[in-house]
Amino acid sequence: MNKPADKNGNVRILASHAGARAIRQELSRRHFLSLAALVGAGAALSACGTGDGGSSSAAEPGGGATGGPVEKALSIYTWGDYDAPEVIEAFGKTGPKVTLDSYGSNEELISKLVAAKGTSGYDIVVPTGVYIPQLIENDVIVKFNKDLIPNIAKVDPQFLGQDWDPENDYSVCKDWGTTGFVYDTTVIKRDLKTWDDFIDAMQKEASGKTSLLDDPQGVAGLYFWANDIDWNTEDMADYDAFEAEAVEKWAPHIAAFDSYPSTGAMQENTFALMQNWNGDARLGILEHKQPDRWKWVLPGPTTELWMDNWCIPAGAPHPEAAHAFIDFVLEPENSFKEMDYIGYHTGTLGIEEMAKERKVELPEMIFFTEEQLATMKNGAVNKAQDRRTEVYDKLKAAASA
Amino acid sequence: MRDRAARRLPGFVLAVPAWLWLTVFFVVPFLQVAWFSFGEKPGMFGTHSNAVMSLDRYAEAFSPTFFTIFRATLWMSVLGTVACLLVALPAAYFMALKVPAHRRGLLVALVMVPYWTSFLIRTIGWKVILSSEGALAGFMTDVGLVGDPHDLLNTRGAVLLGLIYNYLPLMILPLYVAFDRVDNALGEASKDLGAGRVRTFFQVTLPLARPGIIAGVVLVFIPMMGDYVTPAVLGGAKGTMVGSLIASQFLTAQNWALGSAMAVVLILLTMVVVVLAIALLWGVGWLVHRRTELVVGTVPPPDPRLPTKEVVTA
Amino acid sequence: MTTKATPDPPSGSVTIKGLTKTYGQATAVDGLDLEIRPGEFISLLGPSGCGKTTTLRMIAGFEKPDSGSIMIGGKDVVRLAPYQRDVNTVFQAYALFPHKSVAENVAYGLQQRKTPRAEIRERVVEALRMVRMLDFADRSPTQLSGGQQQRVALARALVNRPGVLLLDEPLGALDRQLREEMQLELKLLQSRLGITFVFVTHDQGEALAMSDRIAIMRAGRIEQLADADTVYNQPASAYVAGFVGQQNFLQGEVSADGTTVETPIVVVEGPAKPDGRPGEPHQAAIRPELISIEPGTVAEGLNTVAGEVLQVSPLGEVIQYLVKVTDETSLLIRRPAHGAVRLSPGDQVLCGWAAEDVRLFPLDTPPDPTTARSPQ
Ligand SMILES: Nc1ncnc2c1ncn2[C@@H]1O[C@H](COP(=O)(O)OP(=O)(O)OP(=O)(O)O)[C@@H](O)[C@H]1O
Ligand SMILES: [Mg+2]
Repeated sequence: MNKPADKNGNVRILASHAGARAIRQELSRRHFLSLAALVGAGAALSACGTGDGGSSSAAEPGGGATGGPVEKALSIYTWGDYDAPEVIEAFGKTGPKVTLDSYGSNEELISKLVAAKGTSGYDIVVPTGVYIPQLIENDVIVKFNKDLIPNIAKVDPQFLGQDWDPENDYSVCKDWGTTGFVYDTTVIKRDLKTWDDFIDAMQKEASGKTSLLDDPQGVAGLYFWANDIDWNTEDMADYDAFEAEAVEKWAPHIAAFDSYPSTGAMQENTFALMQNWNGDARLGILEHKQPDRWKWVLPGPTTELWMDNWCIPAGAPHPEAAHAFIDFVLEPENSFKEMDYIGYHTGTLGIEEMAKERKVELPEMIFFTEEQLATMKNGAVNKAQDRRTEVYDKLKAAASA
Repeated sequence: MRDRAARRLPGFVLAVPAWLWLTVFFVVPFLQVAWFSFGEKPGMFGTHSNAVMSLDRYAEAFSPTFFTIFRATLWMSVLGTVACLLVALPAAYFMALKVPAHRRGLLVALVMVPYWTSFLIRTIGWKVILSSEGALAGFMTDVGLVGDPHDLLNTRGAVLLGLIYNYLPLMILPLYVAFDRVDNALGEASKDLGAGRVRTFFQVTLPLARPGIIAGVVLVFIPMMGDYVTPAVLGGAKGTMVGSLIASQFLTAQNWALGSAMAVVLILLTMVVVVLAIALLWGVGWLVHRRTELVVGTVPPPDPRLPTKEVVTA
Repeated sequence: MTTKATPDPPSGSVTIKGLTKTYGQATAVDGLDLEIRPGEFISLLGPSGCGKTTTLRMIAGFEKPDSGSIMIGGKDVVRLAPYQRDVNTVFQAYALFPHKSVAENVAYGLQQRKTPRAEIRERVVEALRMVRMLDFADRSPTQLSGGQQQRVALARALVNRPGVLLLDEPLGALDRQLREEMQLELKLLQSRLGITFVFVTHDQGEALAMSDRIAIMRAGRIEQLADADTVYNQPASAYVAGFVGQQNFLQGEVSADGTTVETPIVVVEGPAKPDGRPGEPHQAAIRPELISIEPGTVAEGLNTVAGEVLQVSPLGEVIQYLVKVTDETSLLIRRPAHGAVRLSPGDQVLCGWAAEDVRLFPLDTPPDPTTARSPQ
């Protein structure tokens, strides 16, 4: 459940949004799935990998894909319930038999790929952007053969050329999202607009009914965004201040650390105030029997932006199929279906217009204005990770007291 | 009386599967975890490495945060175990001694019924019941037992309820067996000798059921210490347990070395607690026994001039 | 010779009236009446399943009667819990507390009554001394032999000085020699203490040897309540006659003149006329030791039959003969070994008995211990 305490100076990263698209799925089942992974913790122990930190051998560009015949199979390793089944099915009809496997954190993905040294058997993985430099550096993912992905051209340039891969040689946007909050207007009668309002309401009307993201960076973000401090700060004094406020002021009021509160507990009105990724918030409101009761806020002054990316791991056994799939999924019509299923912007050109035409509900929770985008900022993998995790663990301990 | 020589060989042979099972599923994994705990996480692209051996992971594991959460875990587990014991004692007693023999099998089966569904599902079932929209919350708010329907879920109380619910059968069964094994005639003898029901229970039945009580306490307490699913589902922020701390090291942080060190610390501390608890139980038993203890030692022969019967029947 | 446990005169008496207990369909005790005098040693004797234990458990208070009354020491106890009754029980399997030492077992009852510690100790020591178990006081009862456990159980009950002591086949688990020893000890103890003993057994020898009076039970009722001599010599029914000691039963019918019983092998004359109309089925019972046996071939007159010796068993002081009269009927005869005529299997003999040694009974249920008809 918890995001980890990572004491070894390793990168930890942005909020992931593993199950964020629980759309059209029954609540209890969704929860069952995410918790089933938890129960399976023992399996991680017995399935002892060999992660000795070594890197795989230099990989060929394109994973050897030259535009030859597409293989008979494709294995995708991604976040749980993250792709529209109809898109997967449709691709399957073009030839390859698609198998899906899921992970719950970037760390899990990376450990597995590294331990397998290129023999993981996966053809496609979906890491969060900020991890990509390390993945490239360690030869864990390979360069695309961009000739085989002409549909990259159909991606909004705004979402291409990110810091971690300026030329999109290794990765292309799968989707992106941001963090805001949702509140119950029957409990909180005033208008909340900023992260400051969130923190204030948490200690007042929503005391004991507030959930925060189950993620160290997201929780740290709450403090830094509210105080307009760069949330990638490496100044330890900032973290001391964060710790003081969180442990002393927030802890008694937190009901849960939950990364998917809206599609889950919110359906039973368990929380009145939830820090939330936009996709989960949107699905939760749509699914709720009284949608009008809830209000979504993209709060100021700043907040986060995260992006997940299609990548091909070194040693992928079906590189042709992998390229074909990425190209297939970037096709606007398919991309639209993906967006519609998970509720996150896939970055394809013209998708917002398509959504308006086709009357996708609550589009303002998927598509954001220029001004809103300007307040969103990528997280970073930096040396403050340890400290962030430490404060997070202290907060959890204090909240459980 | 029994022919011990004839039993020795089969006895040893019969124990082999148990030893094998213990070795394969407990000793070996434990040794592996212990081995990992001396290593480190070799950068972000690995889970563990024993290239450099140190006790540093233990230094990290012994953080104030770990102990805060350990204390909370211990407290929940102790409360849960005691509550289970208090609920199971009368239930098992009733099943073993008050129910006609031919109905007992059915009752034992009924006790096990919750185990027919997955642990997770039945815990989530409670989440639905306790949610602020659930019937229970509505009822309790209406009758004024709680001020706010949100006060049930995501509380320590909810965690405790879930723990009791999930582990109660593990307490009832050994107690049932223990009570069932206490000869009915002993209870009658006690009543015949002047003890009422309550005294008979505390002076005869309970002491004789002590091995079963200890088994039940251990059987319930240890998994509670490691459980983090029940607290996570029902306790929200109030349900952070050592188990979840460890699980996140393995599953999310992929830092097997630190996770292993925490696991070893948890196992050792749990063992210490269990040993202390058993010592306490024995101690209480000993104190209770001491009140009725009677050591005769060697007694000088009676004065031959005094007929025995006069003392006995005076 | 007896010292009363408590001074109250009716203490130690038990009066049972119309006691009934059924388990589902089965009636275990069926309108039982029993009057037990203070300080007497009474045995409940009867075959397995006749309701002895059930009766005892109702007296002790472990079982609630369906109807009837039980008075102990003149006090109606039906509604009282076991510990409120002036009785103690020695259980068949002893039921010693395995988690307590011998001394603690014995002290248990006194501790419940809040007896001062010093007195407890004194009385425990005396009780253990009385049953000769003082040396074992600090041992665990699990380390004792059956006979030793038996004594501890006895001490544990007696130390409370009950008015009535109930014993449910207390010697059943012991071997013969130990059993006989304990019988003697029990009897001595009882007469010394003057406590009423209600002793359940299905061993008639035991009952005869120890009891002041014996209650013969049959299907939940008392068939006869009398001293050993009366029960043996004046059985009230064929059932009692058959159950206590051994009997030769001869079945026939009342003769035309109503004075004798005519059986297929012999016409039997009893001490009085048979209690039945001519032609009604009737039976005669004669004890093996009351039948004479001598060489001969022709039987003449009443109470005499001829037969052939099948078996001769010297049993020490007596010799036991099995004599075949017809293919279906044989007689069991026991004569003093001293001065007996030497007979061997195959000899033709004449058997006879005196009219006053015969007991005549209407033929109701055939008695089960029909030793006379089983040539082994
Ligand atoms: N708890 C019980 N439930 C049902 N039936 C019972 C119970 N106890 C006794 N009975 C029945 O009542 C009858 C009398 O039983 P009881 O134990 O009094 O016999 P008993 O004379 O003591 O026999 P034994 O010499 O074998 O001990 C028996 O038929 C028995 O089956
Ligand atoms: Mg019996």
